[in-house]
Amino acid sequence: MVERDADLTKTYDAVIIGSGAAGGMASHVLTTHGMKVLLLEAGKKLPIEQELRSMEWPYDNANRGELPPDRHSLSFNEYTIRRPPYGPGFEKSKHLHSYIGESDYVKNIVVDERENPYTGTNYAWVRARCLGGKTNIWGRLALRLSDYDFKAKDRDGYGENWPISYSDIAPYYDKVDLYLGITGVKENLPYLPDSIFQRPTKLNCAEVTLQQGIKKMGRVLTQYRAGVTSDGLKHNKYRSRCYGRGACGRKGGCDIHAAFDSPTGLIYPAMDTGNLTLRTNATVREITVDQDTGKATGVHFIDSQTMKDYNVRAKAVVVAASTLESARLLLLSKSHRYPNGLANSSGHVGHNFCEHIMGPGIAGRAKDLVGKPPTLDDGRPGGFYLTRFRNLTEKNPGFIRGYGFEGSSGSAMFPRGADTHGFGASFKEEVRRNQGAYIGMGAFGEVLSRYENYVDLDPVVKDKWGVPALRFHYKFGENEHNMAKDMKETAQEMFEAAGFEIMHVSDRVLTEGWSIHELGTVRMGNDAKTSVLNQFEQSHDVRNLFVVDGSAFVNASCQNPTWTIMSLCWRSCDYLVDEMKKGNL
Amino acid sequence: MSIENPIDLRQDRRQWLKTSATVLGASLVPLPAVSAETLEGETAPAAGKAEARFFTPAQHTLVEELSETIIPADGHSGGAKAAKVADYIDQTLRKTTDDTQKSLWHEGLRLIDVMSQHYNGKTFVQASSEERIAVLTVLSDNVKLTDLPEVRFFVELKHLTVHAYYTSKIGIHDELEYQGNRILKEYVGCDDQGTSS
Repeated sequence: MVERDADLTKTYDAVIIGSGAAGGMASHVLTTHGMKVLLLEAGKKLPIEQELRSMEWPYDNANRGELPPDRHSLSFNEYTIRRPPYGPGFEKSKHLHSYIGESDYVKNIVVDERENPYTGTNYAWVRARCLGGKTNIWGRLALRLSDYDFKAKDRDGYGENWPISYSDIAPYYDKVDLYLGITGVKENLPYLPDSIFQRPTKLNCAEVTLQQGIKKMGRVLTQYRAGVTSDGLKHNKYRSRCYGRGACGRKGGCDIHAAFDSPTGLIYPAMDTGNLTLRTNATVREITVDQDTGKATGVHFIDSQTMKDYNVRAKAVVVAASTLESARLLLLSKSHRYPNGLANSSGHVGHNFCEHIMGPGIAGRAKDLVGKPPTLDDGRPGGFYLTRFRNLTEKNPGFIRGYGFEGSSGSAMFPRGADTHGFGASFKEEVRRNQGAYIGMGAFGEVLSRYENYVDLDPVVKDKWGVPALRFHYKFGENEHNMAKDMKETAQEMFEAAGFEIMHVSDRVLTEGWSIHELGTVRMGNDAKTSVLNQFEQSHDVRNLFVVDGSAFVNASCQNPTWTIMSLCWRSCDYLVDEMKKGNL
Repeated sequence: MSIENPIDLRQDRRQWLKTSATVLGASLVPLPAVSAETLEGETAPAAGKAEARFFTPAQHTLVEELSETIIPADGHSGGAKAAKVADYIDQTLRKTTDDTQKSLWHEGLRLIDVMSQHYNGKTFVQASSEERIAVLTVLSDNVKLTDLPEVRFFVELKHLTVHAYYTSKIGIHDELEYQGNRILKEYVGCDDQGTSS
């Protein structure tokens, strides 16, 4: 892999904005087809292995793995009570991070909140400005969507269908599985299609108990489907296979890159084609437009460190800045020709904002495991996924759509029973005897796509680079709150069915944004009046403009989005290349 | 003392706050706060000079005994003292920018001795292990009364002790016998468990 200085005088075939899952995939696909591509990333390239240090013991870390004391990560209460951009009461911290930035291993990956303010309704907005973005620290759960999601309107009448069916995207899911690697177990579920799996992880004893306990209810618990290569990838020299080293549970990433991340999985191999130029520290503030033809001509960016302005030209512009940043960039790209922002003749840019609601969950103990000799439970990328069961065959009276649970059981480097009441000899013994018996899970549910949940530009507040900040108008609705109550009840009934001792069960909903699965702000559709992109994530208004990240989603489904973002992006980039070759862009 | 029949902390503390002035005499004089001088010395330590500590030697001994009461040595493994929990707490308090946390520690350590005088007629360090347990049980049974500084201190003491202990070598390897964070040939599951080590 050779890194060169970016030549900003030439016209590239395509410029890609953002280097996360979507931007990495666009880089891979376009360069494989021989296109000359410039990839822009707002953050810097970090010495990522030195940041992640996946096998470091806590006692070898100056802060035992916690944030250094001059930094602070926001808590649930702070998100709920205090509003960004975090004024009085936060002065004592030199750096402020989103809630996910609470460990020493991610502090340089997530942004400093003060440099990146936002306004409006409460939202736990997690941003990672560095090469690879959030893929450096993602949760790795890699699930497919199905026609239960793509054609959800046909089932319950709500919202819009996607302009694609499962059969359109299935071959691209296969390509992503094979190119990046995924572990899991085939279940033959119509609503959660199988991937082409590598060697699966194994369930531990309490997880098997839960799996058996809910089987009679017709519910399915399967091994965590992780975007992790467990067998290795012969075609990728930057990634190792998974060695079950653990520490996957702590907030951090994988320093041998068995877990997918965009740089080693996609960007470095793309650079090896000789067709990719990478420019980091490039904060794009506008997509430039030819006012006569209406086509995109390139981008205007600011060097994030020197603050100098640059322009670069490209035949096609591919936006992959993340759901909210991509919407922000389109809204920022106002011109005489596009007074409402670029690609926004529908007025839908920033709207139909959706995600996953989370918070409700349960913790308990498998009594037969109390006092057993210590077991190895966390030497794997994840525990289990309990699949959706609501509104598949029956119709729930309280809400539409569904939810699934992520969970795990057993001992961990830091004991799960550390919050046991009391102190002294009995406390110590209880923590020790219970450590392998704990089991817990939390739900992720579909937040409905609604026009009235949206973001726009704040008229006053600007970020460190002078770019107008995003303003949130976003709240969970009745459907989500009814779903949250049901999550708690079903969690309880399933733990009871498994015979677990329930220690804690809650329907408390976390702050909007907590799932880090924001979606839908630049949605696809067949109707240019109610959508921004066509089925190939190409702007209805500007034919050489593509938006290939989670913003293109028509609904959130309840499955984690990364694998679908990349599969859709691959399909769209194949189309982009075809159209360019035909001279249609 | 128990959850079922806890001491009425609010009632008791009126008495010990009132009587402590005469009983304790000199020991009630507030412990010297960390002076600005000490703090500066900490941020820019002179070459060759040890970093200024947060706790005085007497406070350090008290924190050691408090943390050992939270997590004692037993037949299975060492306790908080062996795991040098007090050193870690000192380091945390030296580095923090949170002045509320710092004063809570000073005030909390003072109140612990006031309480120990009230219940046991001697300081916490002088007290037997049963007497020490009795003092902390009063606080543990009343953890919901977070308006009281001694309760907030107990919560903070337990939190930092538990965190420091279970991230120490003794906590991870001797006490919990943690099996992970090593390279595996194959993933481990229910069928393999019990044979993994």
